[in-house]
Amino acid sequence: MLTNRLALILSLLIGITLIGFFFFGAEKEVDFSTEIKPILNKHCISCHGGVKKSGGFSLLFEEEAFAPTESGHPAIVPGSASSSELIKRLTHSDPELRMPYQRAQLSEEEIELLKEWIDQGAKWGKHWAYEPVQEPKLPANTTTASLGATESNPLAPIDFFVREKLEAQGLSPSSQENSMRLLRRVALDITGLPPSDELVKDFSSGKISYEQAVDQLLSSEAYGEKWATWWLDLARYADTKGYERDVSRTFWPYRDWVIRAFNADKPFDEFTVEQLAGDLLPNPSQDQLTATAFHRNTMNNDEGGTEDEEFRVAAVLDRVSTTFEVWQSTTMACVQCHSHPYDPIRHEEFFESLAFFNNTRDEDTHDEEPKLRFYEAEDQAKVEQIINWASENEGKSAAKQRSDFLKFYEPKYAAHLATDFQLSELIDTKWLGLWPGGSAVYKNIDTQGSDQILLDYWSGVDGTKMTIRKDGPEGEVLASFVINKTQGEVIREIPFKPVQGKINLYIEAQNPRAKPQQNTSSIVWFAFVPSLKGKEKSGFATVKKSWDELLQFRGTRLPILIENPEYMARPTFVFERGNWMVPGEKVSPKAPKELGTWKSEWPANRLGFAYWLTAPENPLTARTLVNRVWDQLFGRGLVATLEDMGTQSEPPTHPELLDYLAWKTVNDYDWSIKSLIREIVTSATYQQSSVISTEAFQKDPKNQWYARGPRFRLSAEQIRDQALVSSGLLSRKMYGKPVMPTQPEGIWQTVYNGESWKESEGEDKYRRSVYTFLKRTSPYPSFISFDAGSREVCLSKRLVTNTPLQALATLNDPVYLDAAKALSQKVWEESGKSPDTAIQKVYQQLVFLPISESKKTTMLQLFRTAKSEFDKDPKAREEFFPGADSSLAALTVATNAMMNLDEFLTKP
Amino acid sequence: MNVEKLLNELVSKKLQTQTRRHFLLDCVSKMGGLAMAPLLFGCELGKDGTLKSGLNLSDRDLNPLSPLPSPFLGKAKSIIYLHMAGAPSQLELFDFKPELAKYHDQDCPESLLEGRKFAFIRGVPKMLGPQAKFSQHGQSGAWISDYLPHFSKVADEVAFLKAMHTDQFNHGPAQLFMQTGSPRLGRPSLGSWVTYGLGTENQNLPGFVVLTSGGKTPDAGKSVWGSGFLPSVYQGVQCRSKGDPVLYLEDPNGMSRDLKKHVISAINESNQEDFQNFGDPEILARINQYEMAYRMQIEVPEVMNINDEPEHIHQLYGTQPGEESFANNCLLARKLVEKGVRVVQLYDWGWDMHGTDHDGSIDMGLRNKCRQIDRPMTALLLDLKQRGLLEETLVVWGGEFGRTPMQENREGKKMGFLGRDHHVDAFTVWMAGGGVKKGASYGITDDFGFAGVDERTSVHDLHATILHLMGFDHEKFTYEFQGRPFRLTDVHGELIHRILA
Repeated sequence: MLTNRLALILSLLIGITLIGFFFFGAEKEVDFSTEIKPILNKHCISCHGGVKKSGGFSLLFEEEAFAPTESGHPAIVPGSASSSELIKRLTHSDPELRMPYQRAQLSEEEIELLKEWIDQGAKWGKHWAYEPVQEPKLPANTTTASLGATESNPLAPIDFFVREKLEAQGLSPSSQENSMRLLRRVALDITGLPPSDELVKDFSSGKISYEQAVDQLLSSEAYGEKWATWWLDLARYADTKGYERDVSRTFWPYRDWVIRAFNADKPFDEFTVEQLAGDLLPNPSQDQLTATAFHRNTMNNDEGGTEDEEFRVAAVLDRVSTTFEVWQSTTMACVQCHSHPYDPIRHEEFFESLAFFNNTRDEDTHDEEPKLRFYEAEDQAKVEQIINWASENEGKSAAKQRSDFLKFYEPKYAAHLATDFQLSELIDTKWLGLWPGGSAVYKNIDTQGSDQILLDYWSGVDGTKMTIRKDGPEGEVLASFVINKTQGEVIREIPFKPVQGKINLYIEAQNPRAKPQQNTSSIVWFAFVPSLKGKEKSGFATVKKSWDELLQFRGTRLPILIENPEYMARPTFVFERGNWMVPGEKVSPKAPKELGTWKSEWPANRLGFAYWLTAPENPLTARTLVNRVWDQLFGRGLVATLEDMGTQSEPPTHPELLDYLAWKTVNDYDWSIKSLIREIVTSATYQQSSVISTEAFQKDPKNQWYARGPRFRLSAEQIRDQALVSSGLLSRKMYGKPVMPTQPEGIWQTVYNGESWKESEGEDKYRRSVYTFLKRTSPYPSFISFDAGSREVCLSKRLVTNTPLQALATLNDPVYLDAAKALSQKVWEESGKSPDTAIQKVYQQLVFLPISESKKTTMLQLFRTAKSEFDKDPKAREEFFPGADSSLAALTVATNAMMNLDEFLTKP
Repeated sequence: MNVEKLLNELVSKKLQTQTRRHFLLDCVSKMGGLAMAPLLFGCELGKDGTLKSGLNLSDRDLNPLSPLPSPFLGKAKSIIYLHMAGAPSQLELFDFKPELAKYHDQDCPESLLEGRKFAFIRGVPKMLGPQAKFSQHGQSGAWISDYLPHFSKVADEVAFLKAMHTDQFNHGPAQLFMQTGSPRLGRPSLGSWVTYGLGTENQNLPGFVVLTSGGKTPDAGKSVWGSGFLPSVYQGVQCRSKGDPVLYLEDPNGMSRDLKKHVISAINESNQEDFQNFGDPEILARINQYEMAYRMQIEVPEVMNINDEPEHIHQLYGTQPGEESFANNCLLARKLVEKGVRVVQLYDWGWDMHGTDHDGSIDMGLRNKCRQIDRPMTALLLDLKQRGLLEETLVVWGGEFGRTPMQENREGKKMGFLGRDHHVDAFTVWMAGGGVKKGASYGITDDFGFAGVDERTSVHDLHATILHLMGFDHEKFTYEFQGRPFRLTDVHGELIHRILA
């Protein structure tokens, strides 16, 4: 006994010293980040920080803290608390001078700590989350023995870290969960679905081990669908543009890319680089371009009267904030207007980060260009034919440009850039409309010396004579052509007089037949792509025909990121007080200094930024990833505030564990998320029983010390998918256009938007929830009840709530009744029409455990009550379940009840 | 006397919270087997001291909508917010500008246009004189136009904020700003804040109900009643006049109420067994949830049904049962508040009078639109008053911005009808009821009604005042998110003392 205790104490001591984390400095030295910074943040920083610097004194940055204040002297004199104004002010007798001003005095302990810290030299330190992750030292098996490890069953590192804390809290771990419950838990966590019959059979018969079951689940395609849902919340993926009109957009190829990336276990660094900067990789593949749609998930405002530039800027601001939230658990929104009040990020650093993102082609235009074209095989052949032709006849670089143009139609100029409107307008603040005799000017246009202009427009009148001149109404004619009525939108090639350098384009329209103030056409964009060379060669006509056909391509097009060519580069300015209309100093792209060092070999663009994010030296990326994955599995992050690891966040419950997993993910697992999940779900901590004693509950109501297994309500998607799987209705069809399962009438009522919910047919009604059409201003109603978001902005964590509307959904939503009917029908036949057996089977099918006698009695009672009602009222029976007899209808009632049990709706 | 009453109320509220601590294990073990007796609620106030082991949970652990006392006693217990989506013209309703009439059809002075952006006006527009006739009403002498003949009669009940201003001139962002304090998405709506702070009195109805009319949801979509970063349980629940009033409220075809009762009993009995096995208090919350759902199924259709209202009430509001109308919604708002719903938000769509067509004209379309709301919103005030509810119900009316004193000339063109463009510098909001000074008027605009010249009120000021009336200090009512405390009013907002009773 005594030896045990000794061994424990010894091992703990050794463990702590060996691990040697930065939290434990040399003895008695006051630690800045854990002891001093919290005091400063609590009492001082609101007046002496990023927002206000009262008395010329700020405690946000080291150099500010030690700089002379308005008095001319620094407030902190390292090594001498007694001569530091900061200390004097804390105890000053004059209330006008005593700090914190007009607030309660600091406690004696706090003042003592501050004194001690200054006397020891006032060593500044970084917040833990900004320190690079260090290689962890793991305890030897002998050390872990005291925490419950045996030779045959050594403690996994996770369990060591968890048990160490449990011990400290006076809690003890729970035993292993019932094996079927555990299988259901891990299946729901990995695939979002209950385990398949086959897996249940193999696992319960002992044919495969728990670890093998985990591997099978990780290799199933359902894994990608489950974890994509998590990522799509962060990516704010939706099928509509958002804002007032909220019309549909094609975005599903990005969702499919995410699912495939998870299933392929694409390393998280690649996953990151491709989404943030796939377009800047050398010769990006279609997939790498698709990935960049991540940041095109920002909303697009079509409301009439809105200025596109305002909402382009809004989208870019969102991209910066989202990037920092998703990869750095850092809140950047504050820094948009002023230096961060608590975290060491300066106002201008926000805009330096913004400069990385501020140089893409998209401009909140109605058509959401640039968009990646997804050509079917036949068209793809034409693309290749054209590129081959161009390589032969136009040279390599021209061929590359042509190939890029066919992929995403860039670079081009959007119509909304027009200025100097004379008898002309920007129709609905979107398209250029020239009235008869009207004109407009496009400034600083680089035609690249092209011999033709590509014009995208539509028109409802014939015979408009258009002229494009250099500079103004008297300028040289560069193009002259006639526009007639079109069948919808067309792209036309128009000969253009080659000119060099940037010029102003004056564009005018004449049409004697049009009414005054009638728009002769609606111009969407124009581009300068030279005419196809090689006219004299044989085969030209075929290639040209292909080119013409491809210009009218109407197939799948996905908004993506494309960087501005140099001649279109957009400068970035600081916005004074965050206002985009008040540009301040010009800035160039730079990553925030405190969050990681920049390597000179990285390009100063989004690609370099993505490298910076995923460099092993970046302190936050791996910690953030680990924290979010942990949260998915345990319902709570090691740092509870998923969206923020900054100085105001809750400290990690298990800092060593967080760093261990972060280190391991980067260095041993090469950023493999599957490996990380595997490590967590195979730990004893994860496999614990979720039964809670009252005592344990009171000690740890939130289960933040993990003395029990994770048990919490399933997500919106899991609840629906589970019901569909259990009843055999779920379609396993993957990918493609979003589907519209049954939804009550009259949900969609968006203004200026004629779209409607068209219920999908056949198996598409029962696809996995990740494929359900998501309209931002009106998401699928039962998902909203179960805490799914509207995906308008990045969502780090869905807060789990409890409302009667959830019960109404699972009791009454037709999809749950369809599921109850299908399951009852199947089981009723199999059970030889015995209600007793049928109820057992239904329950077994739902939760993979035999039903208890008392529950069976309860459900049988319900069955009998329902049966006698239906016997008495055949009309009601027929309405409830057309074609069923009273018994089957009654079983369906019981199944509906069982599908509403807490244990069914909860991860066990 | 008044102070005494206040103190008593405070003490009783506090006592209520204290006695409502639950000792649920005991409760649950006692209620096993009871069919549909008010299971948990029967236990809720039980004072049985013989507990073997207790999970000390607050009301909120069980039910996040359980009522809480406000930090200091607000005059208003509930709020009805009438949002005219699209933004009605203040110049035809409340802000009388005889000077503007003199400038009718003259070019707008350059000084009003310099450095400003409008949604649709381009170049130099013409001024547009008031299209309605104004006269003064009541003791307060409030100017109200002949577009609102009924409302004129209750002028003395109301306080006007006539120099409201915003900084968003597009509908979506402006509506978000008006309802969430931020033009960007992601913040909780006013209704969510209040519901989060106070819970709701009637657990059989949603705490925050949204009713829409005009055939469309507001431009900014459902985010205007979204919960932002607050838990989603605090978002508004849209109750509809067609189909299920609350989604999935109706039992499946052929399932009787009685059978549904058995279904809920069976679920809850099994869940009780699980609670005994697992000890997870979430299971108790689930039991509670199913009971509430069952009772909601009874009470929501009752409250949403206006057929049984007496004829004089229908006449007062001008209601036609069965249709989706602002009138019906006003009557419903009264019923909901009477039943203890905390926040009722009405959105009426169709107030965007640009002059593009007849319905969108300031002289005809707006007059028609006013006819749809005039009688019902007046009736709402009268009805609340006669029931003694107006004192404890705050009623707010307004749009998301104002309209220009200039006639719209969309993209420089002459319009076929008289219209006004979006305008951020001046508009009118009125408030009545709980804690609002009757017959007050605050805010003065210039002779054109272009901008406030005195007592200007920002959207944050309005929010600060509304929260004050509901019993909150807007600077202290915060929610921790992203490492910092968030407020509805961000870092702004001044209480408008002059309109407080």
